[in-house]
Amino acid sequence: MSVRLAGAAILVVAAFYTYFGRGYSAAFGDVLGPSVFPVLVGTVAMILAGSLVIFPSGTVAWPSAGRMGRQLGALVVLFGYAWVLVPLGFPLATFGLIAGLAIVLGGPVWKSILLGAVMSLGLWALFDQVLGLPLAFLGDALTGG
Amino acid sequence: MDVFAQLATGFTVALTPLNLTLLLLGCFSGTLIGAMPGLGPVNGVAILIPLTFSFGFDATSSLILLSAVYFGCMYGGRISSILLNIPGDEPAVMTTLDGYPMAQQGRAADALGISGVASFVGATFAVIGLSLFAPLLARAAIHFGPADYFALYILAFATIGGVAGVDPRKTLLSALIGLMIATIGLDPISGVPRFTGGDFHLYDGIEAMVALVGLFAISEVLMLLEAHLKDRKNAIPVTSWLPDFRAIAATKWAMARGSVIGFVAGVLPGAGASLGSVMSYSMEKQASDKDGTFGKGDPRGVAAPEAGNNAASGGALIPMLSLGVPGSGTTAVMLAMLISLNVQPGPLLFERQPELVWGLVASLYMANLTLLVLNLPLIGIFTRLMAVPTWALMPVVAAVSFVGVFSISNSVFHLEMMIAFGVLGYILRKLDVSLVPLVLGLLLGGDMERNLRRAMSISNGDWGVLLESPISITLYIMTAGFLALSIWLTRRDHKRTQARVLEG
Repeated sequence: MSVRLAGAAILVVAAFYTYFGRGYSAAFGDVLGPSVFPVLVGTVAMILAGSLVIFPSGTVAWPSAGRMGRQLGALVVLFGYAWVLVPLGFPLATFGLIAGLAIVLGGPVWKSILLGAVMSLGLWALFDQVLGLPLAFLGDALTGG
Repeated sequence: MDVFAQLATGFTVALTPLNLTLLLLGCFSGTLIGAMPGLGPVNGVAILIPLTFSFGFDATSSLILLSAVYFGCMYGGRISSILLNIPGDEPAVMTTLDGYPMAQQGRAADALGISGVASFVGATFAVIGLSLFAPLLARAAIHFGPADYFALYILAFATIGGVAGVDPRKTLLSALIGLMIATIGLDPISGVPRFTGGDFHLYDGIEAMVALVGLFAISEVLMLLEAHLKDRKNAIPVTSWLPDFRAIAATKWAMARGSVIGFVAGVLPGAGASLGSVMSYSMEKQASDKDGTFGKGDPRGVAAPEAGNNAASGGALIPMLSLGVPGSGTTAVMLAMLISLNVQPGPLLFERQPELVWGLVASLYMANLTLLVLNLPLIGIFTRLMAVPTWALMPVVAAVSFVGVFSISNSVFHLEMMIAFGVLGYILRKLDVSLVPLVLGLLLGGDMERNLRRAMSISNGDWGVLLESPISITLYIMTAGFLALSIWLTRRDHKRTQARVLEG
């Protein structure tokens, strides 16, 4: 069922892709123009995705609800990191990332917090101080910038 | 003679203090990454590429560092296979078959010694092959026209990942998804924005490195969350660090056969190290397993796949450097880095940037020697580092991935895109869709379209131009052959599975 659903999803995406691809007009002197390649690619993708809907192959074992919950938790931590990195600065945001992911991955809470604290400062020192990659210690929200 | 002169120039490039330091660092960190269960060369190289980029090294130094990491990972993969029965990546699977039983029988030092020497033999054989054959292939490829390149890209898509018995439709679909992503951004010929939705972030297209790190590193975190939550079992202790050198010598023919088979598998576009190690093991089993000892701790069952997968890794660099078509997942990732550094691999690379090509080749000879020296006495350190639990390792890997991507662009948009690619990568892996064709489509899509449009301009719109040259026709016949082989392998595997279900 999962393969069929994925095939259907790719079919819909490829159909939209082909539909919009058709609309790009050819420039003067360019025999093929910007639309033919996307239409070719999209059409073949539709055929293959359609064949997966009709004749699916393989079975997919999705994780249990508990593990999916952990995966969602990891995604929240990852997206959260992307959003707080600039406002909070590297060490504080990275502390959250490492400690949060370690807990989601099943690490003991105190050890995970300790790992986050040590590694976030360690990575900042390594990349910013030793290797010269500029990583803000305090972010915009903390410096008022 | 020409090759030797070029190699001498290469050694002067490789022996500069910066390149030598990067080589040593790459060998050490590569072995470490390879030894960590769950982290293979593709992840290792994918994570390090953005960092290499942000340090501002030139293309030669970056390539030397990443190749050393690549070779180091291939060496390191055997450590977790032998001591934990957990292969670091797909090519290391075959090493577990005899390596782990050897370790269980108290012969861990022998298994590690044999695999270290076999890795050296296989990789050195491949680098010699690379020195001799890559320039020849590059010279032949100078005759390729735009239509021939278009045919070559189709061959690469049809073969990469497709000969391992996976549904070829999924492989092709993966390549097409990559091609679709590659068309996002300004059209390189007419400058028309395509599929951007008016968002200026997308005008430059999807940054390949952002996609790569997401597809490989972030999806790996999601995979681990469902697979390795339980505590990892302890590694088998290594009682002696000195292997029995007679046992190593006894496997010399297995190493030789494995090297040749692995090298050929590596050169084929798309076949890569996995096929190299599987073919080497199965052919060695057919040739030598008279007493049914394979799978129970036969040293030849460790030597052959290790020589095979390392020879394949070196062989895979040949099509990447001389044709611009990678021979394995990791070389696809390295191709992404070269393209990002404005280096276009292909036949002209040998003429225009010989110092890059030969500097790389020379550094690979040195990397092999370094890895052999590093791997035999320092095996204890690598073994101890394997005890780092997954919950502590993966968050740090994720943080390093973020640093790399963020330091290139300082863009939160790129970080979000990286995570989105991670989710896409996870779903595709669950559906048994290989990520490598997607990466290839993403990387080569622009060139594929440019060559198609150039060919059509030359022929004034006549599609027949695609089938005019003997080179194109040969490449299309090879594509059809590979696809037929993939379909046959898929059906055979399907029948075997059904038979097993009926028996069981």
